[in-house]
Amino acid sequence: MSREPGHWDKEAFAKLVQSRIDRRALIKGTAGAAAGAFVAPPLFNAFTPSAVSAAQRALQETQDSAEAAVAAAQQFSGSTLNVVWEDALQLEDQINFSGPMWEELTGITINPIGRPFPELFSSQVAEHIGQTGAYDVLSVVPAWTADFLAQGMLEPLQPFIDQYMNVADLDDYHPLYREMMNFGGQIYALFDDGDTIILYYRKDLFEDPANMEEFEAANGFPLAVPTTWDQYEAIQAYFTEKGGGETWGGASQRAPGQVYGWFSEEFRNRGGHFFNEETMDATLDSEAGMTTLSAMLERNKTMPTGVETWGFVEVLSAWMAGTLAMVGGTWPPYGRWSEGTTVEQLNWVPETQVAGKVGYSIMPLGHSLHNAGFNLGISTNSPNKEAAYLYSQWLTSPSISLQRVMLPYALRDPYRISHYESEEYRARWGNANEYLDTLRAAADTCLLDIVMPGSNEYHVALDNLVTAAQGGASVEEALAQGTTAFNEITDRIGRESQTEAYQQFIALKGAYYE
Amino acid sequence: MWRRDPFPPPRRRGGTRARPRVDTGVDPGEMDETVEFVAAPDPMQRTNISKPSGPSFSGRNRRDGWVLVFPALLLILAMGVYPLLYSLFLAFHQWDLQTPATPFIGLDNFRAALNDDRLWSALKNTWVIVIVGICFEFIIGLGLALLLVDLPRLKRFVVPIFILPVMMVPIVVGLTWRMLWDNQYGAINHVLRMIFGDGLNIIWLGQTNTAIIAMIITQIWQWTPFMFVVLLAAISAVSPDLYEAAALDGANFWNTLKDITLPSIRHIIAVAILFRGLDAFKIFDLVYIFTQGSPGTTTETASWYIYRLGFQFFRMGYASAISYLILIMLSIVATIYVAAFIREGGKA
Repeated sequence: MSREPGHWDKEAFAKLVQSRIDRRALIKGTAGAAAGAFVAPPLFNAFTPSAVSAAQRALQETQDSAEAAVAAAQQFSGSTLNVVWEDALQLEDQINFSGPMWEELTGITINPIGRPFPELFSSQVAEHIGQTGAYDVLSVVPAWTADFLAQGMLEPLQPFIDQYMNVADLDDYHPLYREMMNFGGQIYALFDDGDTIILYYRKDLFEDPANMEEFEAANGFPLAVPTTWDQYEAIQAYFTEKGGGETWGGASQRAPGQVYGWFSEEFRNRGGHFFNEETMDATLDSEAGMTTLSAMLERNKTMPTGVETWGFVEVLSAWMAGTLAMVGGTWPPYGRWSEGTTVEQLNWVPETQVAGKVGYSIMPLGHSLHNAGFNLGISTNSPNKEAAYLYSQWLTSPSISLQRVMLPYALRDPYRISHYESEEYRARWGNANEYLDTLRAAADTCLLDIVMPGSNEYHVALDNLVTAAQGGASVEEALAQGTTAFNEITDRIGRESQTEAYQQFIALKGAYYE
Repeated sequence: MWRRDPFPPPRRRGGTRARPRVDTGVDPGEMDETVEFVAAPDPMQRTNISKPSGPSFSGRNRRDGWVLVFPALLLILAMGVYPLLYSLFLAFHQWDLQTPATPFIGLDNFRAALNDDRLWSALKNTWVIVIVGICFEFIIGLGLALLLVDLPRLKRFVVPIFILPVMMVPIVVGLTWRMLWDNQYGAINHVLRMIFGDGLNIIWLGQTNTAIIAMIITQIWQWTPFMFVVLLAAISAVSPDLYEAAALDGANFWNTLKDITLPSIRHIIAVAILFRGLDAFKIFDLVYIFTQGSPGTTTETASWYIYRLGFQFFRMGYASAISYLILIMLSIVATIYVAAFIREGGKA
């Protein structure tokens, strides 16, 4: 099985999935159970002939997957699709843009069901286990795919793609995001949100001659966008001291539930690995772990006091108020909102004091983290699979998705090549082209969330070890707790199966960069 | 519900309806008020009324009762009893997200729970919050009740205001107090800085000890009114004669509190503490809003840990086993408590 960077062994992964299926079947046979939900579901083949013909005609005429989806979906006019989505701002897309437009075009009503992000995973699993059929379209963070498939929640999409999509559209996905739609040789979802974390900095402060001279004199290297965490720390400390308690050099999210990503990225950038490949023992307490956690705690000291409780909104407020010289990594919406927000949906966002002053960069040490993101999957319990797929195809089609990622209140971030190259998007504000180029470059080299069964639990364990250290536990203690938690999760799921799953994870581009 | 008597007594000539009197052995002249004891007519003595056919009156009554009760009973069975039994079933099985099968594993979940350090830590946190919180709720509630019991006019005005926190939805309380506890913009640190200087900056929800204190104080704020109302009612019911007699004997405030008030209301105190304790043990919303169990897992409570296991990690079997262990623990504690404090001399 090849582990060359950039090569993903789909055949080996397919064998892995099949072996798990066989093992499951043995267990089920032994137990006398026969629930077919845990075996790979049969490929959908009950297509509506009129829908297929309408789509094929549209593709022949326009090669547009959006047009094809609309033409086919009109055959299902009058039906309703239940679409589970992240609540609050993300949901505005469904409520104000996509849902009404789709209904007007096809006569299919979209019922958007919002769930807070921390509950999105559990609510979808719970509804599936209860066989309620509550959702047609699922919102799937790529890292959740293994767990969703273990419960048989996702419909394989290749048959739908073969019937309805201009397959050239798949090549328009950034390669990273294209890979995230696949699992075990099957496409189980359509990617819809490029959540690559990047660094934001105040160009005006960095390019101020007085700051440059002062900083270089004090630190021995020029004031420039940091490429290492040591440089980042020095710059942050410089601006914090200069700010005298009113402004700071930088801030990062450190609140529980969100901080694991920052540890995961820096840990791997410093050469850390989550597990020993041979024994599958967790190796969080390695030198990379010690250095990462110690550095994070050290940087907290030159961040605003109380940063241990800061989440997305707190950091955003400080950034928009102009009190930070840098944001040590966050999601793409910061870039857009920094240039001003004018819509009602964003009236809670502080008025920007940094418009026209923002620069963008990949994270220090060269690899940003792709943190979360969303795929759109079709529930195996859905009674409207075709209509649900057509809506997903329409949403993620090049023409519609470009509009969606440019919505003024959008939380959907660019993920197609056409998004990054869109002239309209690149002209949105003064250096929007730099913003898009940075997002694309970050995606080229980014790190992935852990993609294995139990990823949710592993991420929570990472979160706990960081907050434990922030709360007063020693670095050694916190790492030991995290390592123990990882090992418990691995043992409970099964060392053998997790070893195989980990091998597949590290074969993915973005697992590690050596 | 009014029902027509199917067996009316026979009409007497003269138009008046009289019922047979029964000799009860009581001399009416010795009674404070005249009481007429009238025996119910014996249906078997009425010879001019034939017995109706069909179900008996009592049988029909029972059937009607079942019909009325059945919907509620069905709801209780569906929403209460069935989940209870199913969760007991789960407790003896391995049920988690990554394992398709649900094999029977006997007592393994229970054994794992007893050896789970994280569970013991969560239980410790929970008991600290319960005991410390209830102590303060009782003391403050008693103090307020003693202050207001003899001020009926003020009581009428103050009590509705005092009980407002109890009527607030816990999640709203949590969100509001979270803003108060914010280290940078919260009112609590602002007031403390006014007293102790600008250098003070307690990150209340970012450190284990201060987060637990914040939860306890928030609980006290919300639930002291419950204790206050119960104790006020109890104290109000104590006979004033006892206080008058004590005053005549020269008893001071502490004497009457110690020897009259508290003994008189001890059972009410015990019941109030029991109710409040069982409710406080379930604390979840403040953990969810304030800390999510962090830093690390140091502010997890029993309910939060079970929620995390069952509804975030979908380890339903294990979560069910822990739930039953806690149920057993609380049952034992409550039984001992009732025997010690509520029953008099061990008798009901």
